[in-house]
Amino acid sequence: MNTGLFRPASVSEALALLARLPEARIIAGGASLVAMINARLVDPEALVSLARIDELKEIIETPGGGFRIGAMVRHRAVAAEVRFGGTLAVVQMAAAQIANATVRNMGTIGGAVAHADPGLDYPPALVAAGATIEIAAEGGRRRMSAQEFFVDWYATALQPGEMVCAVHLPAPRPGAGLYHKLARVSGDYATASVALTMVGEDAAILTRAVIGGCGPTPLMIDEANRLLSGQPSAQNLRRAGDLLQAAADPVDDVRGSAEYRRMLIPRMLARAFDEARVRAAASS
Amino acid sequence: MSAPFESVGRRVPRIESREKVEGRAQYIADLYRTGMLHGAILQSPFAHARIRGYDLTGALAMPGVHAIVTGDDFAQSNRMGAFIKDEHALAKDKVRYVGEPVAAVAADTEAIARAAAQAIRVAYEELPVLLTPEQALASGVHIHEGVEGYFKVLDAGSRGNLCSRTEFAEGDIERGFGESDLVFEHHYETQAQAHVALEPCGALVEVDPQGRLTIWSANQSVFRVQACVAEALGLPMTRIRCLTPRIGGAFGNKMEPHVQPIVAALALKARRTVKLVLTREEDFEMVRARHPFKVRVKTGVNRDGTFVAREVEVLLDCGAFADDSPGVLGYSLLCARGPYRFAHARCHGRLVYTNKLRFGAFRGFGNPQVSFAGESQIDDIAEQLGMDPIELRLKNILRGDDRALGGQMLSSNGLKECVERVRDASGWARSTQASRSSRSTEDSGGGGAPLPSAPGKKRALGFALCGHISGLLASGAIVRMLEDGTVVLNVGANDIGQGSDTVLSQICAEALKIPLENVVFVSPDTDGSPFNWGTTASRVTFMTGRAVIGAAAEVEKQLKQQASEMLECAVEDLELVSGGAVAVKGVADKKIGFFEIAKRSHWFAGGPIIGSHTWVYDRPTVDPKRAAVIGLPFPRIGAYSFSASVVDVEVDEVTGAAQVKRAWSACDVGRAINPLLVEGQIEGGLAQGIGYALVEEMVWDGARLANPTLMDYKIPTTGEVPYELHSIIVESQDADGPFGAKGVGEVCLVPVPAAIGNAVRRATGVRLFKLPLTAERILRATLGKT
Amino acid sequence: MSDSLHVEIKVNDSPVALDVPLTETLLTSLRDRLQLTGAKRGCNQGVCGACTVMVDGVAVRACLSLTANCEGQSVLTIEGAGNDRAIAALQDAFIEAAALQCGFCTPGQLIAARALLEHNASPSVEDVSKGMSGNLCRCTGYNKIIDAVRMAARRLQP
Repeated sequence: MNTGLFRPASVSEALALLARLPEARIIAGGASLVAMINARLVDPEALVSLARIDELKEIIETPGGGFRIGAMVRHRAVAAEVRFGGTLAVVQMAAAQIANATVRNMGTIGGAVAHADPGLDYPPALVAAGATIEIAAEGGRRRMSAQEFFVDWYATALQPGEMVCAVHLPAPRPGAGLYHKLARVSGDYATASVALTMVGEDAAILTRAVIGGCGPTPLMIDEANRLLSGQPSAQNLRRAGDLLQAAADPVDDVRGSAEYRRMLIPRMLARAFDEARVRAAASS
Repeated sequence: MSAPFESVGRRVPRIESREKVEGRAQYIADLYRTGMLHGAILQSPFAHARIRGYDLTGALAMPGVHAIVTGDDFAQSNRMGAFIKDEHALAKDKVRYVGEPVAAVAADTEAIARAAAQAIRVAYEELPVLLTPEQALASGVHIHEGVEGYFKVLDAGSRGNLCSRTEFAEGDIERGFGESDLVFEHHYETQAQAHVALEPCGALVEVDPQGRLTIWSANQSVFRVQACVAEALGLPMTRIRCLTPRIGGAFGNKMEPHVQPIVAALALKARRTVKLVLTREEDFEMVRARHPFKVRVKTGVNRDGTFVAREVEVLLDCGAFADDSPGVLGYSLLCARGPYRFAHARCHGRLVYTNKLRFGAFRGFGNPQVSFAGESQIDDIAEQLGMDPIELRLKNILRGDDRALGGQMLSSNGLKECVERVRDASGWARSTQASRSSRSTEDSGGGGAPLPSAPGKKRALGFALCGHISGLLASGAIVRMLEDGTVVLNVGANDIGQGSDTVLSQICAEALKIPLENVVFVSPDTDGSPFNWGTTASRVTFMTGRAVIGAAAEVEKQLKQQASEMLECAVEDLELVSGGAVAVKGVADKKIGFFEIAKRSHWFAGGPIIGSHTWVYDRPTVDPKRAAVIGLPFPRIGAYSFSASVVDVEVDEVTGAAQVKRAWSACDVGRAINPLLVEGQIEGGLAQGIGYALVEEMVWDGARLANPTLMDYKIPTTGEVPYELHSIIVESQDADGPFGAKGVGEVCLVPVPAAIGNAVRRATGVRLFKLPLTAERILRATLGKT
Repeated sequence: MSDSLHVEIKVNDSPVALDVPLTETLLTSLRDRLQLTGAKRGCNQGVCGACTVMVDGVAVRACLSLTANCEGQSVLTIEGAGNDRAIAALQDAFIEAAALQCGFCTPGQLIAARALLEHNASPSVEDVSKGMSGNLCRCTGYNKIIDAVRMAARRLQP
């Protein structure tokens, strides 16, 4: 049978189905896919549901104190995850601001990551957290940084026949992790967002700042992170904001103009940075 | 009335609440008929094009297709339109906006109907597209080539792409400006707002063996549906019966027809029941929205703050069809001067066709737009004069024998009380005291203003007021007594969610001094209900309520006649007493209950007791000795309600985003028949006003609507409406209203955008002249960018 | 249209067998096949919340759920809420507080409120506001809904 709904019990079974039915689509939480079906943008004849695959459903602690979030873990679970403290709070905060409570019951991290809509909350947060994406192919599994995984508008590094199995987070470090989002109304996609982690090391800090919603992929620049780390001066902070602003490639859309998004970048960065400093100091 | 009210003034929950909370209320989408067909509409891909022909062969050949209709199915002369009859049920000969209905299919399933609609081939010849009023006025290309010949109910002055024009003048405007110490002139712009009732538009039409249509639809007036379908299909009204299921909100979107004429045509052609419910996207693209306005306000004042002269000029984008637009133009100009004394006023404007969807009625009907402009300017005037904005207004608001623009006398006026109560409840005086002591513009957000909730925020109170009319056209009511003495109330007025079924029942119960449970409210039905123009214009409590009182008075007369025979006394010696009885005045135990009287009337003498009353609002809007008017669509409108609003707005300095933290809204409703429901209107109006002020905007990408979805067009969620929202009910006891009541549905929204704009100004120092006040616009303004 | 898939689910405690196309949503199945029209179609994109139902005890958007993907699951709609103490309390509170006007969003609001109270039996104003942000209402301005939810919460306390 080439049509219908398939419910494999394992990742390898799922991959085998995808190989056999190249037109089939994966359905995770369904939120994005079914909305597209309703809008008559897609009309799949076969769907591979991940709902029965146990290894995708849990958040487990990995050796070294990190976490493996299965692809089917719902946003609600990540939003409530008390173990995501310190720098990992960036991921918890991002999940908590996705859409609304009911949609958070349905949407999954794997689905969000594979969809790669730049207005989503997870992508910049995962890049800031230093997350890696676990990808399964029939030949085996591979890992890739979140930063490399998001390639373009709605495009990821997934090859045909591959699927996202999990998102790995490094161990939380004491300091701060936060996600600031500007949206027109509660639950909207981000007009622009800042995801930031900050680790205190002696008097110096290590900062990762990522801009969301201002280009085809989450925007992080090593030089900006360097300027925001150590013992950053006000001038360094400004230069980091300028760098990110110059590198951004936002569009005009109903949420805001490209120019507005560019204006927001250094301003939102500065606010996020200041708040992170306060939180990081408080936690040490 | 010496005895306290038993129904009027009571906080009664809606009488239909139980079915709504149990999910058993039936809206149009919830109606199913065995064997019904499903409809689908083919929309125009072009903004302006001639239709050269149709090829239906592919579509007709599809299995399951029962009927297809196109513009060819409607006669040239069968045009609809509330003021100017310029519209066919489907595009005929040309299309005038992207998304316009061009053809429709009835088929066994929705999927087949949609597929068949897409299989219809239409040959178009594109025409130049006119997307702005300015473009359309300058162009020799006419969107309605026959506009001069269309039937009109007003002196519209239609010519070319000018749909209508209206002017009010009082006094001598140029002399007024000459006599003013200071003259201010500003330009404002407002956006298209979508109604976004949670329920999309839809209709279900049945046809009986005689070819008579029964039309169920989401609608604000079964009578408008009947009239428009009659016009569009060229049928006498006797062949059309219109009914209403529960309605999931409307706000103006459902006052004039949407798909009803199309679905009726399909049903007639297929000789089967047809149901069609629009998707959210279709509802956005196809139906109607609030008019974009350009407003120029020029106001002359004296240094002591006395208002002298005001000129308001408006330019309205009509969209492709007139719909209610001439009414919106006229009404907005009537309101544009504001509820103030001006010795000289001139309010004039034009309505211009464009190749976009029609703009039409939306809660406020032009008043939110002109109030945004006028009330924003008054705050700026106050600042220039060094006066408090509320004090400046109190000095000039209508009082006593003052007349509205046009010369209408006010049957009640609680405006001053509205202003004072929100001023006092919000602590306005305290908040401005400290700011006055530091007059520099840098400090406009500080002083005694409400404290910002965090660093990086600026916060201030803002104020605005307005007047708005409830009334217009005709309403009737029939009250019948059943054999057991209980009462049937039949009024033809749709409850669109605002609670009119309940309020009218309360009025009836009070008038007859019977318990509310003894009144049954009949769902509107053109076959059985007396005419009600519609649930619109904040008019149902006032207009239909008056009709109910009149009908109840007739019933009272007949009851007393019966009782006088039964008690053998004079009619003058009798009175209604509480609980449903007629008694001899002063002799409480000499009485007869309605039960007895009803029995007698049915079985012995007199006949069943039936009372009816019908009226058209009859006080003139324009006194020709005071005002010169051209092109006003309605000579008599209604009673003025008033509202004043204070909002506490905080602006984020980093992003520019504004948030309403607290609000006080006072509305003069004459008398609150049901304060619980009045609060509901005030709170809902404030929320919709916040959306209009801060977030909502229909955006066109060329000729195409760019955001016809709820992903892209956002309305306020719980996060955008402040919980600390104080509704203040002012009761000025209107001389004409039922138990003194007048409307609230629109007046509660009208001043909100201006109040928010004024708060933003006071918090940040920047004045924005264009709605919505998005974060982007506010940030750009604070940074000095345009 | 693809072949029909046979799906067995529970709806309001009754077993139901349906044959549906792959891409049919739970909302369509509930309304058009089972005449359970309490859940409404306001946008078909998961934004408005008028279609909110419970599946296996969790509030979800019926318009974003494929019926075929609900095999073996248990659906609760507003029509099945008859014996649910929490929903009954919410219904009474909504009526009393006038937390409904046109009523179109009301079934979805009630289901979302029930889900909220399950996780938080004593919600503050802010808790309710945040928890119900996914249910749009164009009529009420939300405050009476918030009051009704908190009123029901108080009454449900032992």
